[in-house]
Amino acid sequence: MRTQRAGVILTAAALAGFVLSGCSVVQQGAKVLSDTGKLSEKDKDSIIKTSEAVRSTFSEITEQEEYYIGRAVAALVLSKYKIYDNGGLTNYVNVLGKAISYSSDRPETYGGYHFLVLDSDEVNALAAPGGFVFVTKGLIKRCKDEEMLASILAHEIGHVSAKHGLASIKKSRLVDTFKILGKEAATRYGSKELGELTGIFENVLGDIVESLVEKGYDRKYEYEADKLAVKFASGTGYDPNGLTRFLKTMVGGASGASGKGWFKTHPSAEDRLEKVNSQIKGMTNVPKIIPVRTERFMQSVRGLKP
Amino acid sequence: MMNPDNMKEARMKRPVRWSVLAGALVVLTVLLLAETVVVKIQSTNLRKEPKFYSQTIATLTAGNSLEKLSSQDGWFQVRTSAGVVGWIHSSAVETKKFNLLAVDKSMKTQASAGEVALAAKGFNKQVEESYKAKHGEANFAAVDRMLQLKISPSDVEAFLRKGKLGEFGDDK
Repeated sequence: MRTQRAGVILTAAALAGFVLSGCSVVQQGAKVLSDTGKLSEKDKDSIIKTSEAVRSTFSEITEQEEYYIGRAVAALVLSKYKIYDNGGLTNYVNVLGKAISYSSDRPETYGGYHFLVLDSDEVNALAAPGGFVFVTKGLIKRCKDEEMLASILAHEIGHVSAKHGLASIKKSRLVDTFKILGKEAATRYGSKELGELTGIFENVLGDIVESLVEKGYDRKYEYEADKLAVKFASGTGYDPNGLTRFLKTMVGGASGASGKGWFKTHPSAEDRLEKVNSQIKGMTNVPKIIPVRTERFMQSVRGLKP
Repeated sequence: MMNPDNMKEARMKRPVRWSVLAGALVVLTVLLLAETVVVKIQSTNLRKEPKFYSQTIATLTAGNSLEKLSSQDGWFQVRTSAGVVGWIHSSAVETKKFNLLAVDKSMKTQASAGEVALAAKGFNKQVEESYKAKHGEANFAAVDRMLQLKISPSDVEAFLRKGKLGEFGDDK
């Protein structure tokens, strides 16, 4: 009886081992099989190639890689802009942003969400992959209440959540990267590999910065981020009309420092307004703005107003 | 002639076989259904309830394996290797793709597991250091300062409560 039970347990354990290890570590496995002559050189290459092919789309970039890409993009943004040094406001923007992230499709990222106010009168907001979000002093000044700022942060969280930054990386970069990585398993790169990877890293950052700062994302990504902004802001409890009211200040692309930032890199405010309005119309339960939020917003931005 | 002990064993033989078989079936079912999820972010907390500002009952880091027990509104109820049961948001974990039937047939299943083996590679600290050495203009020091500002979930909870947001809204 005891033996029987032990047998079952052993079988189960063996089965568990098989299930758990059955499909892991393809490449080492392919190499081992090939070395023992059980797999032809051609088959080994094709297995490795398949595993590269699977990784050659942006959605397969790991969280950790996204974090390192995001750090570097953020470092480049911070080489162009100065930080607005106001602890109270920075803290307010971070708590607000974090609160919205809780209701987003992607509240957890490798290094988490972090928000920073940039010392610029340009009306702009940017998000680097992984959750590094920037908003200019000029944009905050344009907001009249917490709902408006919440909708902007929700739009940026939308870009992070839907990985629009990573989607702007040219596919060839990823193919190049995974060609290098596919070769062998090393915990640290040798100088040749490191040189090659650093070159690809530079190109990857170039692709993202071009979209983020210079050209703007593809229109469809901006519309998607607006859609997510309405979803995440109202999901948190904010009146999503914060976004429509903000967009109205941008109609005609007229006022003030309009040549840069959100005006230059985004589709026209009119088109965005139309889409956002119809989305809100379709909602059954639209949260309402309440004074206590507007009051704390005014309190936090006090130092900004002339 | 049988001694009394042997007789007892003979009487039990049939039910014992059934129980062993049933046991094996349970083990097999559990194995096929049990889903393992792996923490894919730097660090996070295991929470008592499925919300971010709920009490922390364990700290988790990238690579920790967890047994998924159930799910609810984007949260997974999981058991840690130490046996602690709590909640983690689905965006913090990766679901391991084990498909017993696909092992031999489909290369794609194998390849997507191969990707897990590469997870720690690619762009990492070493690549960042190498990039930094060539690009003095990139302001990594400011990024590190940005990362230092930590907002606790209880601060967010107080903010939501005061602003009548989330579960503290009037309509909830």
